[in-house]
Amino acid sequence: MSEHQDPKPSPPNSGDGWRVLSYLIGGVLVYGGIGFGLDRLFGTEFLLPVGIVLGAGLTILMLHFRYGSRS
Amino acid sequence: MTAGVPTEFIAPGPQSFDLPPIIPGVDWFTKPVLVAALSVVVIVWFYWAAARKSAVVPSRLQFAGELGYNFVRNSIARDAIGSAEYMKYVPYLCGLFYFILLNNVAGTIPLIQFPTFSHIGWAYVAAVMSWVIYNAAGIKKKGVWGYFKHQTMPAGVPLWLMPLMIPIEFISNILVRPISLSLRLFANMFAGHILLGVFVLGGEYMVFESGKILLGGVGIITFIMGLAIAGLELFVQSIQAYIFVVLTAQYIGSAISDEH
Repeated sequence: MSEHQDPKPSPPNSGDGWRVLSYLIGGVLVYGGIGFGLDRLFGTEFLLPVGIVLGAGLTILMLHFRYGSRS
Repeated sequence: MTAGVPTEFIAPGPQSFDLPPIIPGVDWFTKPVLVAALSVVVIVWFYWAAARKSAVVPSRLQFAGELGYNFVRNSIARDAIGSAEYMKYVPYLCGLFYFILLNNVAGTIPLIQFPTFSHIGWAYVAAVMSWVIYNAAGIKKKGVWGYFKHQTMPAGVPLWLMPLMIPIEFISNILVRPISLSLRLFANMFAGHILLGVFVLGGEYMVFESGKILLGGVGIITFIMGLAIAGLELFVQSIQAYIFVVLTAQYIGSAISDEH
């Protein structure tokens, strides 16, 4: 209820969780996709899981750099 | 509805969303179109009536209108975009919020009972609109190349990791955002409508059409559970409208922000 002109932000980062989720999806999508493509190229089948795990790991690392120092 | 004659139960599924045209022959005029049009009429009427006789001491309607507008203006737009530039985006965010809210809640309102956004096309259009707006806002502020750099270079990451991070940042900012916006809204409305349908139609079938006393008792419990689910759905419908608009505001805010 902010009918008064209070400058106080009520929920500071209410959408951060959803943004983090979109990063996680993005990371898995990019590196999983690269792994999938390389699998098709070389006829192997271990690069897709490697890519997915790598993508998730890199995303977590990025989130650490981006949001970790804030609090 | 005559008891004692067992009939086959057809569970609600995706086919429940294929609704016939309201006027035979006019194929585009289906229930979601009607609900969306009604919602626009209601919103326009409400804000027109609330703003018509603006007074220093507001009438009850004006007060309600101001409360609704201030909610989006202050606790969504200003918090997410920042007090310098948020006013430009308030009309869009406010209209979007009440449009989605009304169309979602239409899934609970008796006799209407159809959430427009359970047809995915509506969710796609809403998400694409937000996508175009936050990208356009960023490009207008920073230029094409500056905005592109802004959206692909994550802040605080050491330089040697940058090449690995840039594709993640790009895909998640440009591609995953609109998809997740639309899918989240659509899937929540779709699943909620089916869930409600299963409970209510299942309860109705067990009580009136199964012809078994014992199933009738279970059916009554199912029906009561359905009412509880309807309450939960009302909550989900409001929350989804809120999340959609908060995220749109945050995307705009991050597109035009100076630091990332």
